[in-house]
Amino acid sequence: MSKRRRQPTSYAGFDDAFDSDSEATVGSSDEELPELPRLKLNCGDPDDELVVREAASLHTQRTSDSVANIFGKGDFSYLDLKPDHEHRPLWINPEDGRIILECFSPLAEQAQDFLVTIAEPVSRPAHIHEYRITTYSLYAAVSVGLETEDIISVLNRLSKVPVPKSVVAFVHTCTVSYGKVKLVLKHNRYFVESAHAEILQMMLRDPVLSNLRIVGGDQTFRDGLLVQPRPINDLVIPGTHSASTIKPIDGSVTQHQKEGDVGGISALVNVDKDDDDDDTEAVHSFEIAPESVEEVKKRCQEIDYPVLEEYDFRNDTRNPNLDIDLKPSTQIRPYQEKSLSKMFGNGRARSGIIVLPCGAGKTLVGITAACTIRKSVIVLCTSSVSVMQWRQQFLQWCTIKPEDISVFTSESKEKFQGESGLVVSTYSMVANTRNRSHDSQKMMDFLTSREWGFIILDEVHVVPAAMFRRVVTTIAAHTKLGLTATLVREDDKIDDLNFLIGPKLYEANWMDLAQKGHIANVQCAEVWCPMTSEFYQEYIVADPRKGMLLYIMNPTKFQACQFLIEYHERRGDKIIVFSDNVYALKAYALKLGKPFIFGATPQQERMTILKNFQFNDAVNTIFLSKVGDTSIDLPEATCLIQISSHYGSRRQEAQRLGRILRAKRRNDEGFNAFFYSLVSKDTLEMYYSTKRQAFLVDQGYAFKVITHLLGMEKLPNLAYSLLSERKELLQMVLLQSEDAAGLEIGDDADSAVGRGQLKSSKVKARKTQGSLASLAGGEDMAYIEYNKSKNKELKKHHPVISKLYYKK
Amino acid sequence: MVGGVRDYLESLPEAVLTRLFQSPASCLAILRLLSPLAKTYLLDMVFTDAPVSLDRIDQLVKPEHRSAQVEAIEKLRHLHLIKERYASKTIVANSTFCTSLRCALTAGPANEKFGVPCDDRSSVTMDFLTEYSRTKWESILHFMVQSTIEIAESLPPPATGALNLLQQSGLMAGPSPTRLHITSEGFQFLLQDPNTQVWSLLLHYLHLASKIGRDEVDVLNFIFMLGSLEVGKEYAAQDISPTQQQILVDVADLGIIYHVPESKRFAPTPLAQILTSENGDGAAENTDAGKSLKGFIILETNFRMYAYTDSTLQICILNLFCDLKSRFSNLVVGRISRESVRRAFHNGITADQIIQYLTVHAHDQMKQTDSGQILAPTISDQIKLWQLELDRFVSNSGFLYRDFATAQEYNLIVNYAQEMGALMWKNDSRRMFFVDRDSNRKVLEYVNRKMTS
Repeated sequence: MSKRRRQPTSYAGFDDAFDSDSEATVGSSDEELPELPRLKLNCGDPDDELVVREAASLHTQRTSDSVANIFGKGDFSYLDLKPDHEHRPLWINPEDGRIILECFSPLAEQAQDFLVTIAEPVSRPAHIHEYRITTYSLYAAVSVGLETEDIISVLNRLSKVPVPKSVVAFVHTCTVSYGKVKLVLKHNRYFVESAHAEILQMMLRDPVLSNLRIVGGDQTFRDGLLVQPRPINDLVIPGTHSASTIKPIDGSVTQHQKEGDVGGISALVNVDKDDDDDDTEAVHSFEIAPESVEEVKKRCQEIDYPVLEEYDFRNDTRNPNLDIDLKPSTQIRPYQEKSLSKMFGNGRARSGIIVLPCGAGKTLVGITAACTIRKSVIVLCTSSVSVMQWRQQFLQWCTIKPEDISVFTSESKEKFQGESGLVVSTYSMVANTRNRSHDSQKMMDFLTSREWGFIILDEVHVVPAAMFRRVVTTIAAHTKLGLTATLVREDDKIDDLNFLIGPKLYEANWMDLAQKGHIANVQCAEVWCPMTSEFYQEYIVADPRKGMLLYIMNPTKFQACQFLIEYHERRGDKIIVFSDNVYALKAYALKLGKPFIFGATPQQERMTILKNFQFNDAVNTIFLSKVGDTSIDLPEATCLIQISSHYGSRRQEAQRLGRILRAKRRNDEGFNAFFYSLVSKDTLEMYYSTKRQAFLVDQGYAFKVITHLLGMEKLPNLAYSLLSERKELLQMVLLQSEDAAGLEIGDDADSAVGRGQLKSSKVKARKTQGSLASLAGGEDMAYIEYNKSKNKELKKHHPVISKLYYKK
Repeated sequence: MVGGVRDYLESLPEAVLTRLFQSPASCLAILRLLSPLAKTYLLDMVFTDAPVSLDRIDQLVKPEHRSAQVEAIEKLRHLHLIKERYASKTIVANSTFCTSLRCALTAGPANEKFGVPCDDRSSVTMDFLTEYSRTKWESILHFMVQSTIEIAESLPPPATGALNLLQQSGLMAGPSPTRLHITSEGFQFLLQDPNTQVWSLLLHYLHLASKIGRDEVDVLNFIFMLGSLEVGKEYAAQDISPTQQQILVDVADLGIIYHVPESKRFAPTPLAQILTSENGDGAAENTDAGKSLKGFIILETNFRMYAYTDSTLQICILNLFCDLKSRFSNLVVGRISRESVRRAFHNGITADQIIQYLTVHAHDQMKQTDSGQILAPTISDQIKLWQLELDRFVSNSGFLYRDFATAQEYNLIVNYAQEMGALMWKNDSRRMFFVDRDSNRKVLEYVNRKMTS
């Protein structure tokens, strides 16, 4: 069963890995996986050469001026401007496919819609945006229905310079064969479908494919192919504006809607559509047997026509429908509608990734998609906290019955009773390869034995390829939707997602959403905290790990943190303080008397603290470790202070910023959320800090550097204001083992291991009998004991928390 | 903008200025250089020979703008245009200046001081003059900037006179006028606006002229006169002094006038108009550098820089502090980075100059912000911070005391130094300390007193 439900973009070598899929092969295939995209990208190389040659020959022809040397290969002044270039918004770089867009041009909005479909956004600040055409972005463009000629002609219309030959060639090579052939499941029969009859005929001449074809009796043929009118999009996505106003009755209305969906692009390209010959008005197809799907896909891959899988869910009668609809009160926002229209462009569902900033309503996009498909749904997210949030959101936004929702976490393992339903779980629960308990094994069997209409993969960027493959292979789903805010990783593993899930369907513009009030306006600041001389002296001689602890525990940073907390609490802000380093987290939180949550905090305690932060006026500040990076939904938070972070991770920075983007008060007049990043001056932290900000800076955020916090010295009870106190702190820090400098292990966004597993390992540790030797020096043993005792200490010493507990 | 020449004039002694005031053209030019308030005061006094009472001066200005008034009066006094008579609480204007200015304003007898136009039809057109001054002036700037980059082909160097001036003024340095490289003053010069550039070169010229024994009043008079001529007309050159004849040749090298050697006529170019205009716009519009005043640079908060330009000169100048990546026919794409800015600092350019240049030349789109700030504060802050990074060492000159025989001796003196605040550093274990230079004398006296006693 599972073999039939491949994601559309799988490739030959990749399928081999799938076929022999078992737990044993995972380790080895993990290494080969990153190779795949590169292999495919190689097709770009001949173009590059071509570009160079073209540029070189032109270089010699034209008269180079005195400054040509500064630019070297980057001198494209040989590209003549079109006479009316002032009215066109973009330039195209022939060397690397970069596109520069003038945002103040009247055509900019249409151009942005178009570019975000065909190219990757590189930077989107206020005035000039940059995009980049890549193989993947072109795949994505094709899969949402754009044709090679459309892409080139629209580009040409928008560009100030003629579209360079190299770019035209690149678009051709990437789009000529991709997405031309689709594999569609209809009425439980598989069809190979294409708008181009000649391609199918070519395929049928292929000895392998022709043998796999089935000829049925009830169909009309032309040239040996089944002909049907081109599918029209009479699908209305629930919650959209059109859903509430027009109910489609016949094709003409819906045709109109389709054009509306594609928006600015269709307005620009529909002239070309009219010129198309009659052939494209109809789709051609031939049927294949369900058992040969795998073979057909493999063969198509070999002859360079990879099949694109689409799920014709409305004609799927085998899988029972799920009774789920958006509540009438639920309205989705324009950009959510736009992203969904890319997913359901032709009335069928395609797999892919939708990128929206944190707080911009990714969950609602997923829910709306589920309500559109109306088949059994499985949702995977990163932690059990977000499992509960997803469940709650489903109940909030749509009409699904609570008994149809089942939650599969380490605590709860119930199935839904009806024929179809919704399962919410975590990646680690599903991908766990270790021994499972009886209950969870039964649950897993339940998950793998069924056919799912739709799978939502939340925070898709965090999951490594190996784990994804396991999830994708064990759960048979027709459509996969990845949701994320930040499709960047410091390693190149992002590319894998293109193959495992599908192309990026939509990426929203942060600044645009902030301007329209969908997400909060944020003032970002980097606060420079000079190292005190005692700490700096130690820092210079310390090894890197110890050095890290020293710059995190820098007393000036502590003072800055204290000052900012007091300042913002007085303003009435709710503050989250982030620290990756657990030692620092505890030290800061205990010293300042604030509640904190980290990996080892029990679920119940977490919930209590979060609830109090939301509703209790006495709790205005909480400290969070990495566990809070993603998926914790706290609309009350309006200020964020970061004291330690995961090296140069751009994603973490963006995810953390995301915690305050959904601020409830965002639409108040003149409201600003605050994001402070505290860095110790003249340490490695400065370097990481610059790297971390790169993503947000490219989204148009500006980090203001604060070198001095006015009035910090005058703060009453300022911690570590005495030299003796600072020396004491230094001694304490120096006494810490190197483990304390390390980042929290597990239960975070970067590691595959989610909460579920951490729990189980903890239980295991407790059962182990400690030998005398390990008690004396066994690091693990000591570490766990230490954590526990600190926890108790917190309860004893922490008035706020203990008060809360007594209340209950 | 015209601060350079104003400062220069203020530095001149009264006697020299009085001689300068004898020329109506110079008086008119000086009047134009003044701030509006100072102008008002002066014009108020020009036609009344009687002293003006201080009360009247005060009446002209609202109390809240008193500082502007003080500043204006201060300026006038420094230029020796007015004299305060404390006894009678009055102010009197410089009589020479008044006479000359009256003459200039009323087209009095000394009208030929504003040049003698040639009556016959002019052979030079406005377009020709604009183009001529542009090529001349740009060839100088180009020559300066060229020494910074590997260039594909060099433009012809400017005339020897101009080269000489560049070298003498310290904007460029090198063994001979043909083998010059740019200095840090030169880098700073490149980032200035055209008006300041022209004046600063001319001031250097003045300086040079007085060095070789020419009368600076004569030179200055002539330069001011050039500034008040009408662009597009030709003027006769036969009635001028030999010094002025030589000046004609020299300023022609800079593109300020068009003058064929040996010919009896010359024509001022748009560049000459800059000389007496308050700010460079309008007059400089037609030069390439002037075009930039329209604004062509977009600098984003992610430090990417997009410049709408095809001028090689502007590209070279941007290249001084920006990493240029690629270029289209009408657009240059680059990025301001720590390295590129540090390179500029290394050449002697300051953060403020870079910020000033970026602000002055910012694209119109950049100016349409709610905050009213053209450059994003993060960008300008960052550029300043990069400069601060370089200035982390503070040097203080002073004296080191060491080799004390006993700890007691050491303590005695070090405590004294500490008490009087002269101590900058000490190391008790090695019995050394360092004393600030200015206070050293007192410490030394103390030491001598103690040693001898």
